[in-house]
Amino acid sequence: MGELRQIAIYGKGGIGKSTTTQNLTAGLVEHGKKVMVVGCDPKADSTRLLLGGLAQKTVLDTIREEGEDIELDRILKEGYGGTRCVESGGPEPGVGCAGRGIITSINMLENLGAYTDDLDFVFYDVLGDVVCGGFAMPIREGKAKEIYIVASGEMMALYAANNISKGIQRYARTGGIRLGGIICNSRNVDRELDLLRAFAKELGTKLLYFVPRDNVVQHAEINKKTVIEYKPDSNQAQEYRNLAQAVIDNKDFVIPTPMTQERLEEILMEYGMMELADDYKI
Amino acid sequence: MAKLLDKQRYKCALGAMQSVQAIERALPVLHSGPGCAQKLSDTNGSSGYFSPNIFPCTSINEKDVVFGGVKKLHSTIDNALKVVDADLYVVLTGCIPEIVGDDTGEVVSEFADSDKPVIYAPTAGFKGNNYKGHEQVVDAIIDQYLKKSDEKEKGLVNIWADVPYQDLFWLGNIRELEKLVASLGLTPNTIFGYKRGIKNIDKITKAEFNLLVSPWVGLGSMKKMEKKFNIPFLHYKTLPIGATETSKFLREVGKFAGVDNEKIESVIKENEDYYYYLIERYADLFLENRVINKQFTVVADAQYALGITKFLVNDLGLIPAKQFVVDDTPSKYREDIKKEFENLNFNIKAEASFETDGYKIHEEIKNHDYHGYPLVLGGYYEKEVTESLKGNFINISWPVQDKVVLDSHYAGYSGGIRLIEDIYTVAVQRFN
Repeated sequence: MGELRQIAIYGKGGIGKSTTTQNLTAGLVEHGKKVMVVGCDPKADSTRLLLGGLAQKTVLDTIREEGEDIELDRILKEGYGGTRCVESGGPEPGVGCAGRGIITSINMLENLGAYTDDLDFVFYDVLGDVVCGGFAMPIREGKAKEIYIVASGEMMALYAANNISKGIQRYARTGGIRLGGIICNSRNVDRELDLLRAFAKELGTKLLYFVPRDNVVQHAEINKKTVIEYKPDSNQAQEYRNLAQAVIDNKDFVIPTPMTQERLEEILMEYGMMELADDYKI
Repeated sequence: MAKLLDKQRYKCALGAMQSVQAIERALPVLHSGPGCAQKLSDTNGSSGYFSPNIFPCTSINEKDVVFGGVKKLHSTIDNALKVVDADLYVVLTGCIPEIVGDDTGEVVSEFADSDKPVIYAPTAGFKGNNYKGHEQVVDAIIDQYLKKSDEKEKGLVNIWADVPYQDLFWLGNIRELEKLVASLGLTPNTIFGYKRGIKNIDKITKAEFNLLVSPWVGLGSMKKMEKKFNIPFLHYKTLPIGATETSKFLREVGKFAGVDNEKIESVIKENEDYYYYLIERYADLFLENRVINKQFTVVADAQYALGITKFLVNDLGLIPAKQFVVDDTPSKYREDIKKEFENLNFNIKAEASFETDGYKIHEEIKNHDYHGYPLVLGGYYEKEVTESLKGNFINISWPVQDKVVLDSHYAGYSGGIRLIEDIYTVAVQRFN
């Protein structure tokens, strides 16, 4: 049993953080790892594929209805391959403070003893961009030390990734948090692999893994399963196993060097994206 | 850059609880964390109708932060209406609900049909200090309670002055301003203090004009009423203390209200005759006493810094050293107020410094050559530094810890006499 690795997954909204995290988790389980996934998004859809649906009552819903005097099993459910699944949840849209909600629920998990010694990995799947201090909670106070950013070759995804790196840089100065790399969730953009490699290099990190686009991911999602569970023999299942191996083997953790907006656009230009923008065909 | 606020001289905007308290039978209802009202614990004279610093409060906690505190706010207002007999309920929000984004206005609007009026003022501390909070309360009354009136009452004048309780002499001052305005044959209307309250609030929109006696506090509210209710306003920047300024005040107010000049001058003459009779009787003390030196410094909010500087120069013939304005005056008003400090008799100009750092103020006082015993009129913080310079100290601005003031005042002719009494009481005690 190695040391517990706590990992936060960030990235632009809709980029596929939850899908990637859950498929990666399934891959880790196949490698014999014990994993807990903590959804840090008020939408509470970070564990749907592992649990076979939105079968989970969120931490905050539980606190709201039952108060803070609760047992761990009220908020922690076991999913695919013995993974432990928690959803932080949040207030109703438009009221309250979701950021503070994440702080509250992670503190509660700690108090209830969710972080047991048999765990190998804890993943925090964090909503969209870092919008306020609450959403940076997983990388504050020495929780997640390792961060992966999910991105694609689309400009806004890279813009968000660069922005997130600024947040990581800030917390890295005082804490031990480091960027472990970029995970590309491919959108089949031209020269995506080259672009992502160049982008990662500029950030001072590496492209950890390039996950190709495959419709089987969507089919698995409709069936409320990870690809590994839904089609274990598919190519995509193997891709996620490889991603899991890459995470297990990863030893390169850096303080990122975020770039200026101008430099980011230069890189995009270099890889042809800007010129192609006018020529975009669906 | 963040800095230490050395010797804080005001409270956060939620200190506007005091402006509500000063309205008879009005009740602050707090939407804030527990303990926010405790900031009033060091004030005297507010244990009147309800309590000095215990009010209905949502006492919001972490759960309310996460899920929003609006339900708790609704039940707190609801219960306050049931158990506290008041004429006006003013919901004041603290920092937490303002950051979380609770829609206080929406909750308050649900009480629109209740028997008693419920209004709200956003008074989060990060919005500013209690001078700003005071304006928010007056604005809330204007925006949410008052209705435009086509009916005007001849000669009715609303008088607005500085912040109740923050100004220790607020009650006496506003009563004195009322008397002065009434002496011109006008009818004063004020909302703060004994037997004013909601019935006077109801009269606000019937007034012919608003009279604001303050360098800057309340100016926004006056403009709001001009726009909303078509009530013109006269902005008299200096709190009139002593004969020179009070006579000027009466002339300006009288002229604005269209009062007959003869009437104005006869009121002034009557007051000045008595004022100078008193001064004359003590002229030998003022002339022979060598304890009160020529140079003085005032450390106070804009109202007192300006009012007292004018009084000491124009009436007592003293020379201003540097004056310190400590109320964090918004920068847009500062140039204007500086000009007022330069508009003194005998071509004397006073230098005013807008400074909230007590350390810097004290360093400047220590390093200035007053050519004798310094005369320092300021907050209690200035007592020690003045004593270290063997100076004469009078505590006139917040915090006040060496006197009890029930309805004493410095405004008007009689206020000038009170201030002379206070200054020379210190002087004659010096060698006792």
